Amino acid sequence: MSNGKRINWTEIICFTLLALGAALVLYPFFYMAMNSVKPGREILHNPTALPSEITFSGYQAVFGELDIMRLFRNSIFLAGSITLINTTFSALAAYAFAKIPFPGRRHLFAYMLSTMMIPGVLFLIPTYVIIYNIGWVGHFEALIIPSAVSVYNIFLLRQFMVTIPDQIVESARIDGASELRIFLGIVLPLSRPALATVAILGFMGSWNDFFGPLLYLNQPENWTVQLGLQMFRGTVPGENAQEIWAATTLITLPLIVLYFVLQEQFVKAFANVSLEK
Amino acid sequence: MQEINVNRKAFVQRVRKGIWGYVFVSPWVALYIVFGLYPLLLSFFLTFFDYSFVRPENQTFTGIGNWVSALTDPLFWRSVYNIFYNQSIFIFLKNGLGLLIAALIFQVRTGARFFRTIYFMPVVTSVVVLMTIGDYLASPTGPLQTLLVQAGVLGSPVFWKSSNLLPMPVLALINTWKWFGISTVILLAGMYNVSPQLYEAASIDGAGAWQRFRFITLPQLRPQLLFLLTVDLINGLQMFTEVFTTFNIQGGANNQALTPVLYLYREAFDQSNIGYASSLGLVLAIMIAGLTMLQFRIFPSEE
Repeated sequence: MSNGKRINWTEIICFTLLALGAALVLYPFFYMAMNSVKPGREILHNPTALPSEITFSGYQAVFGELDIMRLFRNSIFLAGSITLINTTFSALAAYAFAKIPFPGRRHLFAYMLSTMMIPGVLFLIPTYVIIYNIGWVGHFEALIIPSAVSVYNIFLLRQFMVTIPDQIVESARIDGASELRIFLGIVLPLSRPALATVAILGFMGSWNDFFGPLLYLNQPENWTVQLGLQMFRGTVPGENAQEIWAATTLITLPLIVLYFVLQEQFVKAFANVSLEK
Repeated sequence: MQEINVNRKAFVQRVRKGIWGYVFVSPWVALYIVFGLYPLLLSFFLTFFDYSFVRPENQTFTGIGNWVSALTDPLFWRSVYNIFYNQSIFIFLKNGLGLLIAALIFQVRTGARFFRTIYFMPVVTSVVVLMTIGDYLASPTGPLQTLLVQAGVLGSPVFWKSSNLLPMPVLALINTWKWFGISTVILLAGMYNVSPQLYEAASIDGAGAWQRFRFITLPQLRPQLLFLLTVDLINGLQMFTEVFTTFNIQGGANNQALTPVLYLYREAFDQSNIGYASSLGLVLAIMIAGLTMLQFRIFPSEE
């Protein structure tokens, strides 16, 4: 191109601006990690300086007083089971809507989509009353059972599954394969990208959820990482501030690692778009 | 007679053939009845009563009393004002910054993926972590204000949390940091989809970079922008964790950070006014649904 040089200049300016912006975006993460090894007194009185000495007392406190391993166990159990159960049942329904022609299917699907229009805030109080009356408050069931299947995930998976050619499913049926077998053996493996999206959103959503655990998991032995961190924040005196930052760092780390391993899937899951140029 | 019988037989056969379809959707149907349909009816029902967990036997019928109280409650309207104050700043900043960064990434060939990865990182952090960091960074003794005071920009540290006007803009800034990456990614995908011929034709006609952006890129991004606006508003009006973790249950001494959902939470779980809280939830839900429909009317989609 004749104006190659001009484009180059634009690119250099854009690149520089982007690099500055990236530094600003990363700064809070850097701060979090730095404060986790900075003595609490310096965090208080010298907030902009680098630590004069590295201390791991914050991490010791987090494993001792806070018992962060218990929080991790609870969160992994909760987020893991919600993800697994929700993905399974949502995929099952999605398969029926995509590939099993049963009378009433279209109407049921349209009705299901219409239920998505109602803002979630409406369900807050009545759902609590129901779960309270069942006696699940204080138990993980309170969060796991209501999210055992979700409309949005059924929709997402169904949109993917309709793109699987009908002949594949039909010929398996002619060969005498049961619907469950077709679902497990053919449709699920072919739907892996969509399943990844649903699983990532589900796991992240429940790992980061605060409101649900706040409402339903009121005993300390059931606290999740998010609830534990919030409760911990209120009990740590200022001169031990590094403890809060150690907890914050540890809680954020698993998702950041997961994000870097699966970044393409993460971005796609959230944006629901493909990013090919 | 014969005909009907044949039809019925065919129908029964189709049902029988699709029986696994019913089996596979049944978990959703069951869950929907218990945690979708029933709560919906219950939420209407509850608004007509005074009901508390502490004394469930004292359930008294109050008719539309809760509705009237909710609609004339100055504290509720204060919370509505607060959230709109917050959202008008947040939605503008988040999508403006998202658009700017997307436009910049669109221009670079090296490092586009790297920048996208970095800018999206805050999206995966939790709100509790976000507020732990944000609260500290913005605090009067925190690093940002210390730097600003040293640089002479601020005369003295600002106690933004107890101020009347500042909590909502500061929360909007903190949330912008967390969420603009989503706008960037969605708008960037939209930009990659714009046909290069459009730009070429515009260049031949003598359009500059700004004109190409203003008259080609922006109109082409309409569906994405509408989507972002809708989702942002639905989520944003239901803000809770940000204020609950950072302010007290009143949303600050003067309710300067009280949001509708925080108010609802306080009425339900602090004051045990279940009926009243249900009415607040319903009013809020109607408001959100109405605004969403209004948005679709103002910006009709192309399809």
